[in-house]
Amino acid sequence: MTKTILDVEELGVTFRTETGEVPAVRGVSLTVAPGETLALVGESGSGKSTVALAAMGLLSGNARITGRVAIDGTDIVGSTTGKSGAAGKAGAAGSSGAAGKAGAVELSRLRGRTASMVFQEPATALDPLTRVGAQIVEVIRNHRPVSKAAARQEAVELLRRVGIPDPARRAAAYPFQLSGGQRQRVVIAMAIANDPSLLIADEPTTALDVTVQAEILDLLRELAADAGTGVLLVTHNMGVVADFADRVAVMLSGEIVETGPVEQVLLRPRHEYTQRLLAAVPRLAVAEPGESAAQASTTVSARPSAGVTPAAEGSAGEPVVRLRDVSVVFGRGGRAVRALDQVSIEVRAGETVGLVGESGSGKSTAARVALGLIAPSAGAVSLFGADLRRTRGRSRRRLRAGIGVVLQDPVASLDARMSVAECVAEPLRVHRSMSARQRRSRVEEVLDRVRLPRALADRAPRELSGGQRQRVSLARALVLDPRLLVADEPTSALDVSVQQAVLEVIAELQADLGFACLFVSHDLAVVQRFAARVVVLRAGRIEEQGRTDATLLHPETDYTRRLLAAVPVPDPAVQRRRRAARQAVAGAGA
Amino acid sequence: MATLWYLVRRVAQAVLVIFLVTIVVFALLHALPGGPARGILGAQATAQQIATFNHEQGLDKPVVAQYFYYLRTLLHGDLGTSYTLNEPVSTLIVQRLPKTLVLTVLSAILGLLLAIPLGMWQAVRRNKPFDYAITTLSFVAYATPVYFFGLILVLVFSQALRWFPSQAPQGDTLGQVLANPAGLVLPVVAGAASMVAVFSRYMRSATLENLAEDYVRTAKAGGARQRAILWRHVFRNSLTPVIAMLGYYVPVLFGGALVVEQLFNYPGMGLLFWSAAQSSDYPVLLGCVLVISVATVIGTLLADIVQRVIDPRVVAGKS
Repeated sequence: MTKTILDVEELGVTFRTETGEVPAVRGVSLTVAPGETLALVGESGSGKSTVALAAMGLLSGNARITGRVAIDGTDIVGSTTGKSGAAGKAGAAGSSGAAGKAGAVELSRLRGRTASMVFQEPATALDPLTRVGAQIVEVIRNHRPVSKAAARQEAVELLRRVGIPDPARRAAAYPFQLSGGQRQRVVIAMAIANDPSLLIADEPTTALDVTVQAEILDLLRELAADAGTGVLLVTHNMGVVADFADRVAVMLSGEIVETGPVEQVLLRPRHEYTQRLLAAVPRLAVAEPGESAAQASTTVSARPSAGVTPAAEGSAGEPVVRLRDVSVVFGRGGRAVRALDQVSIEVRAGETVGLVGESGSGKSTAARVALGLIAPSAGAVSLFGADLRRTRGRSRRRLRAGIGVVLQDPVASLDARMSVAECVAEPLRVHRSMSARQRRSRVEEVLDRVRLPRALADRAPRELSGGQRQRVSLARALVLDPRLLVADEPTSALDVSVQQAVLEVIAELQADLGFACLFVSHDLAVVQRFAARVVVLRAGRIEEQGRTDATLLHPETDYTRRLLAAVPVPDPAVQRRRRAARQAVAGAGA
Repeated sequence: MATLWYLVRRVAQAVLVIFLVTIVVFALLHALPGGPARGILGAQATAQQIATFNHEQGLDKPVVAQYFYYLRTLLHGDLGTSYTLNEPVSTLIVQRLPKTLVLTVLSAILGLLLAIPLGMWQAVRRNKPFDYAITTLSFVAYATPVYFFGLILVLVFSQALRWFPSQAPQGDTLGQVLANPAGLVLPVVAGAASMVAVFSRYMRSATLENLAEDYVRTAKAGGARQRAILWRHVFRNSLTPVIAMLGYYVPVLFGGALVVEQLFNYPGMGLLFWSAAQSSDYPVLLGCVLVISVATVIGTLLADIVQRVIDPRVVAGKS
């Protein structure tokens, strides 16, 4: 390669914290050529975002940076020390105040012009008090001497280019008036406002629904191809990598362990970690375009069935929980929102029912109705055969004791001031009269079941990793031997390898204990692996439901088909075909 | 349209709150030891005198009837008559309220003009010597009683340096007071001191919070310079919590005026309140309480409206 737009050499980043120096990135070297997309992948804490921020010079003040980063030949890191060697670099790091100041103007000239960035969280990436058009105008006028009116004209044009409908009117909107996908389009419009040669995208689609993700990725691909922009794509999603990248660099604990063309890394990984990582990725079994139904189902049954509980199939008897024609309306009058509309769901003992849909489809609301946390505006909920509306006080509490719940955020759902043992024991205190010793032994028993070492019992939740914390939540949910487990996105905040372990624990316990499980997830691959039946929700209504292997392979409705088509699979060749098929359908529809 | 409806609703709420305040004030009036009669006629009054007084004032009627009578006189602007000054309370307050407003508003403006940039600057220079110095000073200023701080001002700027008079401008009308601006300097500064201390803290923490927000990083990634980021984005976003606090700060300002006016012999409501308290002049005290309550309600209403203007999310009911 003759020319590179991004050149990172031996980058090292250490954060100074109250507890000492924390190394985040060590000896990272990579390049991005014009028109090329390099995906930087890895799990949380691997340092991939740190590399991206370092490349833009956006690391916080407590970061110590060594090595060299150059964008289009201009040094971002080590610019003042040049080639004076290790001693000079150490000196520059020590007096980063002075060095940083000298580079500040230079840096801001580069940012948003030569190199720009798209961030993960579109909800917070925009100034809430400034109209989106004005925020784009600002980026334009940061770098080019155009009049306000001309810049405003350009901003509208940019909004049109990133696919915002009615851009002239939308330019006057505040960020909160736009959807998540639209906000991300605005962030992209800001990023491409000055035709940068390098685009750094840090998990640009992680916070979005799959269908929106597919659109945003299409948009980025198109923009990059049109202008020959080099892209550094930071992501944890192997499907996104397969969909988008030319080359891949895999990071583990701050270092790059494997680099190569996307086909090679995703299909023939050489490093043991990459192999493990890819093995843990839940794969959506897909009917290839043109493949018949019979062929597809053999593909599914050929999969190793870790996490699937076939025992649940066909289990008869009373449903453990049953929602009948449930509607939920929030608010009143003209502002009323119908979150659920005549939804009927049943879950039987030993069975896992997956609840899928895009954000706002009502899946979490349905889970809350099942938990008895939201009273339905119409319809009936029966729990263990008892009508929830007719039970009050003590009998209602007894019903509640039969439900365990695991929520999405393992940090927020545990009381930070309680020890692990106290967190797990709390339901026992509420619902059972037990001596402290009995409680303790029950807690230890449950910790064993979720495969957490007993030694963790007296630790605080914050001392645990995300996966461990989620297992504490699970232990707490299971401590009363529930007949129903409601899991609302239980693994969405976890890395894939951890996700796999947690799902395995749930499946194993379910096989042992026979509880019913209502499993809410936006991840179709996880649901496909984990749930025997699936309910697809859309805007508060059930779009379709059925056995997972049938519904998610050969869906009956266009909506489910679109949803499935939007999921990127971590095989570049397959994903290319899927994308072509999806775009063909979209093109035909348009 | 939504804004108009909102205004109507908020004003109705404010009226309701003020109505509740009148109930509290009325209850206070009746909770006086021995009732208003004993308070007015003094400890030596005979039972006969008290009974006559109660009859004259309608105090022998049922409490509810008395309340409505009180409310009716209130609506006519009649707050009762001062025992010691022998003048209608409303006249006394109308004379003094504008002067107190001038003092408190000037103090508030001066306080905010200093506090907001100070707080922002502190946030930008967080954990640097400048930040520490201002933090120390504001803690000292916050802990210093207004009375003591005012005395120091008098000692330094009036007695030693002779820059400003120690006595506030006198006079019955606002014009007479404003005709002598030099005399206003020390009272205004004394009133502003604690305001600077409190609001620079608010501004500092609001700015710090906003500097850590993602949108700041986005602006930086778009090539905005530090100064532009501060003034174009962080400033407005940090201002909203400060403005919300301002409404609730109105009674504190009046409380400060009480001390400042007494100290500088400024002929405002604080001084009126102070002397009424010393002579158990209950109608005056309760009149003042009512006025301060109304001012607080109006203050929060104004703060809400300003916030609505700054933050479009408030209009939509999300944040």
